[in-house]
Amino acid sequence: MLQHKGAINLALARDGANIARRYFFQLPSRSLLRTLSTTVNHPASVPRNLVKGRWEPIIGLEIHAQIKSATKLFSEARTIFNAPTNTNVTLIDAAYPGTLPQLSQECVDLAIKTALALDAHIYPVSSFDRKHYFYPDLPQGYQITQHYEPLAQNGKVELSSLDGLDYSLTIGIEQLQLEQDTGKSLHDVYPGETLLDLNRAGTGLMEIVTKPDMRSSKEAGIMVKKLQQLLRAVDSSDGNMEEGSMRCDVNVSVHEIGKPFGQRCELKNLNSVKAVVDAIDAEIERQIQLNESNIPVDQETRGFDASTGQTYRIRSKETAPDYRYMPEPDLPRLVLSQHTIHALKESLPELPDIRRLRIMEEYDVGIIETRTLMGEEGMVEYFEQVLRDDSNRNVKSVVSWTIHELLGRLHSRNLQFGSQIVTFSQLGSLIDCVDKKIISAKVGKSVLDIMVDGDCRLAMDIVNEMGWRQIDDQMQMEQWCASIIDRYPKKVEAIKKGNIGVLGFFVGQIMKDSKGRANPVVVNQLLRQKIGISSK
Amino acid sequence: MLPMLFTAGSRAMPVLGGRAIRRFTSTPSVTETAPSSFADHTHIFNESFTPVKAAAEHQENIAKYNAYLNTFIDLADPKQIQEQAESASQRWKSNQSKSPLDGTVMGYKMNLCTKELRTTCCSPMLDNFQAPYTATAIQLLEDAGVIMGGKVNMDEFGMGSYNTFTNVGPAKNPHNVLGKDTAALDQGEDRSPGGSSGGSAAAVASNMCFAALGSDTGGSVRLPASYCGVVGFKPSYGRISRWGLVAYASSLDTVGILAKSVDNTKLIYDTMAKEDPKDSTCLTSKQRQAIAEAIKVSPVSAEQNPQHPLSGVRIGIPQEFNIAELSPATRSRWRKGIQVLKDAGATVVPVSIPTTKLAVGAYFTLATAEASSNLQRYDGTRYGHQSNEVDEKEDLYSHTRSEGFGKEVKRRILLGTYVLTSGSFDNFFLRAQKIRQMIRDDFDAIFARPNAITGSIGSVVQSADIEETDAKVHALLSPCSVTTAPRLQDCVGDHIDPINAYMDDILTIPASLAGIPAMSVPFGICAEDGHPVGLQVMAQYGDEEMVFRVGRILEAKGKTPSLQ
Repeated sequence: MLQHKGAINLALARDGANIARRYFFQLPSRSLLRTLSTTVNHPASVPRNLVKGRWEPIIGLEIHAQIKSATKLFSEARTIFNAPTNTNVTLIDAAYPGTLPQLSQECVDLAIKTALALDAHIYPVSSFDRKHYFYPDLPQGYQITQHYEPLAQNGKVELSSLDGLDYSLTIGIEQLQLEQDTGKSLHDVYPGETLLDLNRAGTGLMEIVTKPDMRSSKEAGIMVKKLQQLLRAVDSSDGNMEEGSMRCDVNVSVHEIGKPFGQRCELKNLNSVKAVVDAIDAEIERQIQLNESNIPVDQETRGFDASTGQTYRIRSKETAPDYRYMPEPDLPRLVLSQHTIHALKESLPELPDIRRLRIMEEYDVGIIETRTLMGEEGMVEYFEQVLRDDSNRNVKSVVSWTIHELLGRLHSRNLQFGSQIVTFSQLGSLIDCVDKKIISAKVGKSVLDIMVDGDCRLAMDIVNEMGWRQIDDQMQMEQWCASIIDRYPKKVEAIKKGNIGVLGFFVGQIMKDSKGRANPVVVNQLLRQKIGISSK
Repeated sequence: MLPMLFTAGSRAMPVLGGRAIRRFTSTPSVTETAPSSFADHTHIFNESFTPVKAAAEHQENIAKYNAYLNTFIDLADPKQIQEQAESASQRWKSNQSKSPLDGTVMGYKMNLCTKELRTTCCSPMLDNFQAPYTATAIQLLEDAGVIMGGKVNMDEFGMGSYNTFTNVGPAKNPHNVLGKDTAALDQGEDRSPGGSSGGSAAAVASNMCFAALGSDTGGSVRLPASYCGVVGFKPSYGRISRWGLVAYASSLDTVGILAKSVDNTKLIYDTMAKEDPKDSTCLTSKQRQAIAEAIKVSPVSAEQNPQHPLSGVRIGIPQEFNIAELSPATRSRWRKGIQVLKDAGATVVPVSIPTTKLAVGAYFTLATAEASSNLQRYDGTRYGHQSNEVDEKEDLYSHTRSEGFGKEVKRRILLGTYVLTSGSFDNFFLRAQKIRQMIRDDFDAIFARPNAITGSIGSVVQSADIEETDAKVHALLSPCSVTTAPRLQDCVGDHIDPINAYMDDILTIPASLAGIPAMSVPFGICAEDGHPVGLQVMAQYGDEEMVFRVGRILEAKGKTPSLQ
């Protein structure tokens, strides 16, 4: 693809022509811009990762993210995951004769927001092209994409220790372009037959191409996760690799420091971050072995078999198809005003890097908790809502109850985080009950269990109904203490002799007898008084 | 100086800021105020010549000639046509007609989608294809009360100049056939109606319908109009929605009109030239207004003087159109046309469009490239022909496409595929794009009026009487075809060199590449063979009115016996 682009630039230079430029490069300075803003992230003299002491891997990513729009890129068909086959298909999607594409405003807006989040330059004029190949799940016989003039170029993503790296790193974004997704071929539902589902055909995709700025599978894995975060933050894509709403192709080559980059191979069909990381490692290993045996690495497209942990050849460069790119004559150029771009910029939500720093500073929360909070869609908003709801609430309690207790319970039930399962006012009421010592933390956890299982009431209502209010009644507690001291005279002796640890057994026993309702602090004090040892 | 209204582009001509976005608006409907009396509001019908009468005449001609001329392929139910014509007649009588066209019967080219009859594109590939929707252009006509007479013959997917590349056999030129006993005709003398809209032109010329729609990519409406002696009009690119027109070369395709008079052509044009959100390359209302404003530069006086109706109008004679291949008879008709326009008060000056000679090469490069792309969708999986000889996926495609496409279509797909391969894209496609732009620039340079699309500024003609050699013009006059209609036997068979055949489009292609309006107006009969000759009028982008104005003069004089 890059090769092709180069060829066009050459043609321009050769003809020195205004005309070709008018056709293909509305902005004459585009290639210039690209050169100027290509920042050198890391001097080649300081390799970040050398495998077997001498081989440096060079890694670039090509991400396809499905746009989270209500309708498809060029038709008004709905985009619903897992809808019954061929129910979201218009005449345009099925490429009926005489139909024409109609660009969706929503898809363009979401792509612009994504490009802004990637800090990319958005072109006031971009255009669409046709990429041709024959396949049954490509009804038009071509994919409408943005080959010659993409929507945006020259973005960047910052990675740091906060993302799990040991150093800071800037990964360049080559470009972001709009294009159509294909339908799905269902093979061998009936033996020997291929069935077609065109529901996905024509759904909008953003193709995000990074610069070859990664040097290890770890960097690549972190980059993929970071992109997922960004896409989810601007709500332009679900970014779900397992469901296929985000797909990742990887370009890998290895070379020796000081020597030119090696021949690259493209790894395709990787459907999880783990697969991306494992496939890169396997491919680096394979290419190094070839190099060490003086066998040239062929440029080819390869797949990854998770069961063997090996990559395998899909097709070589010789059999690579010629896509016969052609400007899309059915669509005028996409012209964006600065006003439009500015308005979308204003509407951007808080981006992950900024949010992460803000949470850490504003609430004095550690990186691990912050990452957990940000790892689930909507959890930061939830967390902040609980805090905002009552300014007296303690941040540490809210963090602990949100992350450890609530999220832990959801995960153990195989649920994603959702603000509707336990509402922020429910969790807030629970935290208040515990912090105000109306119930013990232990009872609080039982209350949360009830809430997670579907009880929509506030904590007090549940506590009252269950009779779980913490007991502060002095008489009652003195009775409990007296009876336990009577029951275990030997242990009392042990405590008197200085084995204070046994006191814990007594407290535990009383908590058990009281079904958790006794106030453990008061119990502790009473026991010490009765046994006759000093408080602390 | 006028501001540049729109950005220039490589793609379909109207390339406009913000227009690319799909807007959820409905197709505008035609609203007509109720007329008060029959003849006051249409020159088509009157108390004695009603839609019922006209429809009956059409049916009569179909019965007489259709089997021989092979014009209509699918006919609408005659009973239904009659009923519709009766309703229209009633509406006229009660002053409730839908439009001046209410009750007229029209034929539609086989590549325009209609819910009712097949849309085969005269290709084996779509022989069984029934479109589930109606083209916007036809919908607008139906809303205006137009009755569909049926679907007519054409060159497969619009590729051809003689209507010989068709899966149902060639259509024939009705000239010299009408009024004769078809059984006694010498078939060796049969002439081509031209192509690719041959069926449309032949149907109108033989009065099988009031008018017909065709499509014009490189001359496919104008050439058959010229051969058959009817008016053939290709509007500016983007004037009429292409939604429902099966694509041949998207950046060149236009819906075209074939009719018996310039006035009828204009009526039909006015009905269809509307904004359509379903076609992103179709001009919006706002853009139409902007174009109308731009055209006001270099005004010409209204037709006040009946002796000199073209007073103040400057006509250019493009020298490069005077090619060696032009038959002497055609050249002489062209001279006559120049005289007619001068007599009507126009100032006629020679002009130069130097890139004309590059047009045919550029056209066949771009059109075949786009065709190869547009025809990728015919793979036998969703509609149309599917080969029975199928084992593997690859076989399904190759068998289906080998069986489903005719010879000329295959030739153009192969040419276009080659043009787009990565090794030749720069040398062929890009170069052709550049030539296309040069042709546009050439036209802009000679037109007095500005081109709202390319942003050319035009120039105000101070005095129309000054015959400066570099003066700019309002319209151009040229022949429409190199010869009169060729004999069918000279158009078919393996001895035909396709390159020679492509050269027959040389006079019509420049206007297609530039996207400007062009019309073939019948202008008498060739002295040598007695067949019709058409002259071509072209004007600046968006200046359809100028084409109609000049066309009317030629049409009126072309009919006078002294010119025969």
